[in-house]
Amino acid sequence: MSKIGIFHGCAHLCEPYVPQVCRVVRIESQTRDVKSIRLQTLDGARPFDVLPGQLGMLSVPPFGECMFAATSFGDDYVEMAVKRVGFVTERIHELGEGDQVGLRGPYGNWFPYESCRGRDMLFVSGGIGLAPVRSFIRHCLDHRDDYGRIDIVYSASSKADLVYLDELTNDWPNRPDTHVHVSVYHGSDDWDGPVSYTAPYLEQVFRDNGLSTENRAVVLCGGPSLFRTCRATLSELGVSPADIITTLEARMKCGVGKCGRCNIGGRFICLDGPVFTEEELASVARDF
Amino acid sequence: MAISKSAVAALLERISATQPVFVPCKVSGGSKFVEFGEGVVPAFDMQNTKEPPKELFFPATEKMYRWKRHEGELSIEQAALADAPFTVFGVRPCDMASIDRLDQVFLTKGFVDEFYEARRNAATVVAMACPTADRTCFCSSMGVDSGAAPSADVLLTDCGDCYEAAAQTPRGEAAVRAWGDAVSAWAPASAPKRAACTLEVDAEGLAEKLPHLFENDLWEDVAASCLTCGTCTFVCPTCYCFDISQDVRADEGSRFRCWDSCMFADYTQMAGGHNPRARKSARVRQRFMHKLCFFEQRYGTGLCVGCGRCMRECPASVDITRIIERIGEADV
Repeated sequence: MSKIGIFHGCAHLCEPYVPQVCRVVRIESQTRDVKSIRLQTLDGARPFDVLPGQLGMLSVPPFGECMFAATSFGDDYVEMAVKRVGFVTERIHELGEGDQVGLRGPYGNWFPYESCRGRDMLFVSGGIGLAPVRSFIRHCLDHRDDYGRIDIVYSASSKADLVYLDELTNDWPNRPDTHVHVSVYHGSDDWDGPVSYTAPYLEQVFRDNGLSTENRAVVLCGGPSLFRTCRATLSELGVSPADIITTLEARMKCGVGKCGRCNIGGRFICLDGPVFTEEELASVARDF
Repeated sequence: MAISKSAVAALLERISATQPVFVPCKVSGGSKFVEFGEGVVPAFDMQNTKEPPKELFFPATEKMYRWKRHEGELSIEQAALADAPFTVFGVRPCDMASIDRLDQVFLTKGFVDEFYEARRNAATVVAMACPTADRTCFCSSMGVDSGAAPSADVLLTDCGDCYEAAAQTPRGEAAVRAWGDAVSAWAPASAPKRAACTLEVDAEGLAEKLPHLFENDLWEDVAASCLTCGTCTFVCPTCYCFDISQDVRADEGSRFRCWDSCMFADYTQMAGGHNPRARKSARVRQRFMHKLCFFEQRYGTGLCVGCGRCMRECPASVDITRIIERIGEADV
């Protein structure tokens, strides 16, 4: 099996700092604090060409702008999932359909959907971490024959915090050789599935389903504790760091590796990332 | 070629008739590059200005675009680029080396920063070799020759009564031609005055060694005295990190960028609460790792040019040469 190769030499031909005016064309409430928002240019086109895993800077004058991964995209839209956690995301949640916002991008690299062809895919994410991974899952499902067995392990704090629940329960499990495993950290009366943190649940799924480390790619995205624990679990299971793909997050301002704050070692998450393999990260001195 | 020192004032007058010319000058509270004009007395005998010439290419605040909302419709208009020609006169070799670093940041690696590019292309840089050294100068340890500034358009070298003038680029040749009779063809009678750096430190192999010192006690030790005031980053000629913020007036406003500092906790503070560099020692480590290791990994040269401003201005006497020494002494 050839090695998973991730492209890091992004060059941006777009005007990097100045957003284009876009319209909010659809808003869906995913959970109590997550909304998915579809954006389109004023003349009804997709704001920019985007690949799975790439980023866009959503700008809500006068309040500020934030970087989000495109969770999906179509011929005439880009969709982002926004969790309400701070000042700007609070304002984004107040937007209505038809409202005009700024959007600039695309930024960063993309999931290695080409070099993962032929592999069994295991997607592991927690909470809002499903949002960036979802673009890759959708790509694999749209090109189903290019990939082997697909497993999706997803956890959130409680049932009410599971994003894209409709796809998780009604769409993805019905696709060929696609297996969705969902757990919550805190059970409730309306939840009869597993109650477990992501890492032990991942281990259980791996063993119960007899998943092999051979010819596998693991895509990992979640908060710092999920990263730490799942990395350790995957290591115990014998998955090579070269087969683990992650997408990182940091505070970002410029999006093109100039403003300085999102570095890990000599690389910038917004430009060289956000997608790295664990093998690449293992050799980098980093703060998180 | 040479310029008599007594003819420099007239030369500056001549240049400033066609374009702004910025010269090192003492100002209230310090010294910086200011536009030459009436009442401005250039301080060419002074060593490094308190504020570096960085601001002429990368202003402390710079408008990026304006936005306006009218009956629900948003419009966005990019700010005009500052591309009017200007001259910077009297840039020290360390500061010229810092402009080379800024060029790498803003003009390479997949994307060109138009705002910086416009100013940089509009500038004629006249460097001035150092006849003396400050008490905190250590540029020779960081690979800078205090008698040379290869990327400057013109290099002036102090020869007592006059400056030897050497045009080093086509733009520099054009500039020297335009200076006319202020420049004479004769060679200076006396030899150039040269100065040796006051401080010396062995800065070899830092980029290779530092990744192994990420968890070293050194950072806690430095952080113990550091106030994280950010002074070092604002007087540093190579620090380029910026924030993007906004100025709002009712339904219109502008987004601008402004200098930021890795010494501040909110620099990396994320919405939701996570901060990868919440600890002071992590921020101190980031600053020195960036200067001495990360930048070299990315661009092939270090980000410290040895101007000595950070230790001269630091209220807690944090001394980068001492830190470099400690890195050299540390066991991997």
